Amino acid sequence: MSDTTETPVAGRGATVIREIMSGGATRALLSVVAGFIIGAIFMVFSSEEFLAAAQYFTSRPTDALGAAWTAIAEGYSALFRGSIYNYNADNFEASIRPMTETLRFAGPLIASGLGVALAFRVGLFNIGASGQLLFGALWATWISTRVELPWGLHLVVAVLVAILGAAAYGAIVGFLKARTGAHEVIVTIMLNYIAAGILTFFFRTPELLREVDGGGTPKSDAPAETAQLPLLLGPEFTLHAGFILAIVGVFVYWWLMERSTLGFRFRMVGHNADAARTAGINVERMFVLAMAASGAFVGLAAANQALGVRAGLTPDIDGSIGFDAITVALLGSSTAPGVLLAGLLFGAFKAGAPQMQVIGLAPEITGVVQGFIVLFIAAPPLVRAIFRLPPPQKTTVIADWWHKLTTRGGAK
Amino acid sequence: MKNITSRAWTGLALASAATVILTGCAAAPTEGAGPVEPIDYLACAVSDEGSWNDKSFNQSVYEGLEKSKAELGVEIADAESATPDDFGPNLQAMIDQGCDITIAVGFNLVDAVNVAAEANPEMSFVTIDGWSNGATNLKPVNYAMNQSSYLAGYLAAAQSTTKVVGTYGGMQIPAVTDFMTGYYYGAMAWGTDNATDVTVVGWDPATETGDFIGDFVPNSGTSKTIAAGQIEAGADVLFPVGGDQFGAVSEAIVEAGIDGRMIGVDKDIAATSPEYAEWVLTSAEKRMTLAVFDIIKQIAVDGGAFTGDVYLGTLENGGTALSAITNYSGATAQADVEAKLAELQAGIIDGSISPLG
Repeated sequence: MSDTTETPVAGRGATVIREIMSGGATRALLSVVAGFIIGAIFMVFSSEEFLAAAQYFTSRPTDALGAAWTAIAEGYSALFRGSIYNYNADNFEASIRPMTETLRFAGPLIASGLGVALAFRVGLFNIGASGQLLFGALWATWISTRVELPWGLHLVVAVLVAILGAAAYGAIVGFLKARTGAHEVIVTIMLNYIAAGILTFFFRTPELLREVDGGGTPKSDAPAETAQLPLLLGPEFTLHAGFILAIVGVFVYWWLMERSTLGFRFRMVGHNADAARTAGINVERMFVLAMAASGAFVGLAAANQALGVRAGLTPDIDGSIGFDAITVALLGSSTAPGVLLAGLLFGAFKAGAPQMQVIGLAPEITGVVQGFIVLFIAAPPLVRAIFRLPPPQKTTVIADWWHKLTTRGGAK
Repeated sequence: MKNITSRAWTGLALASAATVILTGCAAAPTEGAGPVEPIDYLACAVSDEGSWNDKSFNQSVYEGLEKSKAELGVEIADAESATPDDFGPNLQAMIDQGCDITIAVGFNLVDAVNVAAEANPEMSFVTIDGWSNGATNLKPVNYAMNQSSYLAGYLAAAQSTTKVVGTYGGMQIPAVTDFMTGYYYGAMAWGTDNATDVTVVGWDPATETGDFIGDFVPNSGTSKTIAAGQIEAGADVLFPVGGDQFGAVSEAIVEAGIDGRMIGVDKDIAATSPEYAEWVLTSAEKRMTLAVFDIIKQIAVDGGAFTGDVYLGTLENGGTALSAITNYSGATAQADVEAKLAELQAGIIDGSISPLG
């Protein structure tokens, strides 16, 4: 398996993805560290105190260094206060609320991260989590606002519909790839726009999903109480059962990918589609199933977004989850525990951002940290250089490919 | 999770270390250096989607906060919302911070701010362009934008050589169509006064149909396409109601090669975006800076009590108004038009003219 010098062109994209994913926990951790260091640099240079003190750096450098130190410490302690534990709060509820917010934000990130991760393992790049989420949320909203069902059953049906809707939307991509060879990246991106358009149309049209007595805004009614994901810790906290759904998703994902026959076939296609075909696996069918399964996990995120709220939905309920899911899957190396931890980390970023803004930091800083983490994940040699890690085993696909590229025409 | 915790604890340790360092070098140059004495009042704001420097309503509110900080000495804190997911947490951050007043900017935050107000009855909230579902600690700030837009429509029709004027909106929501309806009837009023047919493209208040971008993304391709389409239909004065669309409109005007004008919204565009000034006829100002400043001043400095009463910005109280007219080249002399506008304004204030048809 490791001899990949004759990798067919069609399989190269998949193997590069696999190489990026196979970095292991050390590199993921170091990428996070590097991301935080870059974030600290941004904090220092956006601190007015530092910039003022830096002007007389040579005469009294302690001022500038102290200001830099303060900026970093204040920034990251605000992130801590906003995402883990608020030690400034007057009462117990307020002090632990940040942790519950982290979990709430992590729910949809973990679920959609699993979806993108599954596609990665099959050698597919699912950029369409956003569209799948919207499509699942659309039908879940239909069930939650337009259908009356008894307590319990209503929520179950709504969640299932969210999963099925997103899975169906994902399956379209797999089908188009299997039948026509259309590239999944292009197809998923285009389907994102289509899903957003369909959702806006439904939310705008009174006969469909627009809120009763609503104005002209595209907005749905709030989900019926019987269809809302129940709050886990009482009305003081917004944490709802969507997080449980995500955790269940993590276990299902682990079983599916590591223990089931289907998961084995998925991974085999991801490793080498040609070999899988030779071994008798229907690769086209796997593409459709994998994209459907990928969409199904994203559907859990759709349920989180559509049924975890107590107010009407607007067409941008996907927020940035669809794209954050890609970063979660990358950071989590597409493994179940990795995606769980990465989702929690990015959930903490989301929960902590308001506190960072309150102390005057730009909200973009956490985005910059996230972006750099992914950059480091995707650029293994860079991280190896920064942290002086030993070089990887000789025959990496990228190295071979580069070697072939640079020595083409030379003696074989 | 584990690693962020440990890092944040490290951050905590660093914070205390930094405090020790800082106490040694007596660095407090800006504290109390301003012209006003700082007072113990924390005014906070949460933005709608988009940033504070959107050259439109988010920015107007933020300038109100900064003005309050500079002139009244209040402390301020703020949070920008990137997605609707941020509304709740951002408001919660303000509550945790103990803000004396929290301003939620924009129609989209209305649900979130009502929830926050009901959950925190001891705190004060303001909703710009929103409403209160009954909470008395939530003050709605609304604007009768149809009033100034009526004047803008009248002026547009006077300026137009084709007697076709256009308008389009960001999204079809009441806070947007209010401008467009006033503009429509203003333009029609000029037609009646001068026995001339005037056509308004892009909005018909009778059928509630018109041209909308679908979002508030500044100067998008869609925006420019709509502007170009309206110019194609003969319009030579455009009134885009959707934040910063002035780049799109000015490009459409230049590319069509017509002697066109546009009318700004929310702020005096000729002053705030001088790069577009040569096409600006006037602006229908929504003076949120003023409202924010007045509300904060009344409570923080004048010692007034916070009430949930609606603040309605009108021509009468100066909450909305037309900016100075520039680049006017209509058939009627500018002085005559201005006199007529003053007359219409008086009529709207005393109620004899309805800007809503």
